[in-house]
Amino acid sequence: MNFWVSLDQWAFLVPLLPALAFVIIGALGERLSKLEHGGWLAVLFSAGSMVLGFLIAIGEMLGPGTYVDVRYTWFSIPPSSTGFRDGFSLVMGTLVDPISALMLIVVTLVGFVVMLYSIGYMHRDTGLPRYYAILSLFLTAMLGVVLADNLLMFFLFWELVGVCSYFLIGFYYAKPSAASAAKEAFIVTRVGDVLFLAGIFIYFAMYASADPSWAASGFLFTKGNAAFLPLGQGVNPTLLTIAGIFLLAGAAGKSAQFPLDAWLPDAMEGPTTVSALIHAATMVAAGVYLLVIGSLFLGFTSTDQLAIVAVGGFTTIWAASMACVHTDIKRVIAYSTVSQLGYMVLAVGAGFAMVGLFHLYTHAMFKALLFLAAGSVIHAVTTQDLFKMGGLRKKMRYTAFAFLAGAFALSGIPPFGGFWSKDDILSSVYSQLGTHPEYWPFYLMALATVFLTAYYIFRVYFLAFEGPSSREPGLSEHAHESPWVMRVPMLVLAGMAIVAGLLVFIPPFATLFNPTLTSPAFPVALPLNVPPSYPLVDIELSALSVALAVGGILVAWWLWGNGRLASMPRSAPARWMRETLLQRYYVKAAYDWIGGVGVYSIARASDFVDRFVIDGTVRGFERSFAGISQRMRKIQTGVVSDYAAYVITGLIAVFVIVLFVAPWLVSRLGGG
Amino acid sequence: MTSLSIVGFVGLSTALLAISTFGILTRRNFILLLISIEIGMNAAILDFLYFAAFPTGSHYFDGLQGQSIAIVLIGLAATEVAVGLAIVLALNRLKGSINVAEASSLRE
Repeated sequence: MNFWVSLDQWAFLVPLLPALAFVIIGALGERLSKLEHGGWLAVLFSAGSMVLGFLIAIGEMLGPGTYVDVRYTWFSIPPSSTGFRDGFSLVMGTLVDPISALMLIVVTLVGFVVMLYSIGYMHRDTGLPRYYAILSLFLTAMLGVVLADNLLMFFLFWELVGVCSYFLIGFYYAKPSAASAAKEAFIVTRVGDVLFLAGIFIYFAMYASADPSWAASGFLFTKGNAAFLPLGQGVNPTLLTIAGIFLLAGAAGKSAQFPLDAWLPDAMEGPTTVSALIHAATMVAAGVYLLVIGSLFLGFTSTDQLAIVAVGGFTTIWAASMACVHTDIKRVIAYSTVSQLGYMVLAVGAGFAMVGLFHLYTHAMFKALLFLAAGSVIHAVTTQDLFKMGGLRKKMRYTAFAFLAGAFALSGIPPFGGFWSKDDILSSVYSQLGTHPEYWPFYLMALATVFLTAYYIFRVYFLAFEGPSSREPGLSEHAHESPWVMRVPMLVLAGMAIVAGLLVFIPPFATLFNPTLTSPAFPVALPLNVPPSYPLVDIELSALSVALAVGGILVAWWLWGNGRLASMPRSAPARWMRETLLQRYYVKAAYDWIGGVGVYSIARASDFVDRFVIDGTVRGFERSFAGISQRMRKIQTGVVSDYAAYVITGLIAVFVIVLFVAPWLVSRLGGG
Repeated sequence: MTSLSIVGFVGLSTALLAISTFGILTRRNFILLLISIEIGMNAAILDFLYFAAFPTGSHYFDGLQGQSIAIVLIGLAATEVAVGLAIVLALNRLKGSINVAEASSLRE
């Protein structure tokens, strides 16, 4: 037992190992051509990080409910009467608790398998040192977010994660669409981040006056086994609501929730491995993790909760509907990610933070798997268009199996991972409908999404893998199974997709879903609901959601099964709807309109002011000085007698001033 | 001695200064310019001598101090002429003339 506790002292090594990989690969990458330009180093260091992360997580399972906070004070400011009453410190520390242990498992496992998979997937690309260095830096940043023990450090690494995402989306920077997708992702998440920062300031201002020791200790989340803050007690509830909304905005930006969701499908311009690690399993889940931390350590009001439920619930169906019509295999999975993140946000908003975390964990496994399988397909056929694929199952048995496992997990078919967590969310929210009837519409949206989810993912499966052969001639003939470095990660994640949900029924593992906070002011004393317990009503609900999922699969099979293409008759009334969905509800067009008309006219007005008012003033001064100078230079004749005349004139002027003007002025003004 | 008034002497040096100033402003010949400057210089030297010879008891340059300063100024004037004549020679070599209006290349 002692060994496990002492292990937590070394938690800082978990993010530090990938950081070392970043430095080494960044400095020496071009010279490591035998190691796949540093790729194997990245694999090695992320493996080390994974081993340590798993050991820490095991220690947390064995000693349930321990909060080990190892911190290092960066700098501190002494107390002052004008600033912080008890002083202020900036702390870098690692907090190992049940939820961060769970996140360690998710991030290090997915990080490691994606690194391994990259060796095969990225082999033919150039710029590999950059790829592996930034991916390692991303792992560092993400683990920093997971292990952060205070709000400022959390924000620091949160921003670093966003920067890495920007670099990796724009990995193929020579491609204009990739460069603009990277910019879009960065700018849209920035909107959320700025609001998040405003929220942090409000929390600081509110709680620093309610409890001055909070600032002095460095805005820590916890104190021993309790939340540091009195969770909304003794603060203005209106302010707390506003801060919570800002926190939600930050989470919505990172997790691509409505209305900041448009960047995630465009982020698919990056390599598929990046989509799997960053835009499916880890970074986009950071927003959900932020909401979990918010509800455990900072406190939400019931208005905040309703806002979170609304955003999450609406996003599920919003994104899932768009996933039904798109033909780019990666984009469909990206919309699915947005939709699934909506489920997690919904659960956290309804007060079931741990249930949201449960879905985060299973989703990370099966969604990374789906991306890796899609990457394997793209690697084989070099297109992302589903309508050109087909018949790949016979050529790529492992990939087809992996994709099928992920698809079943995503659809929520028991006993795959997604069933347990998604069902847990639905029944948990259902249990709140009695006291919160305002959750009803969002619950129904989430329920309808179960059907859509099963439909769109099996549409992808049938289009890509089933049928006699590819619809574009020659694609499936040349397709072949991927090398082992790509198969092994898929099989590992396929295994996790199958058993991830079952693992929570093992008691030590379930302790990771029990935050065991001893804070008396735990927001709402709701049951944790992980692992899911099944009274009668839940079984009926499960049966309903499974029936919806099976229905979705059957519809997908009816329309697309055996590789057939379902084409909509030209006169179909639903045609305009399909067009709307393909145009992404015209949100992108609205963005362009806001950018093109709104922002551009502001810019033009500013340009006018700048050019004619400000520059005009400056140029006017310049011109008048130039004119005066032109006239003045005529007195410079170069003839020494003229200068002598100026000197004498000046001398006489000085005499006149000193002898006559100054005394007259003194007598007039009455000075000394 | 007693009938002499300082006013006439000061008037003399004022006249000398006026002549000197007129010369500086109107002459273009460097030698004449130098002579004009010397005249102005001598007006100042004479002033020192008058005030030394008509001690008022309150003036700083009464008596010996005034005469000493006059000696120093004569030396200074000699030095100045030496420098001035050197410039005249250099100017003559450069432009082939000692007209100061020709030495206007600093204007550019």
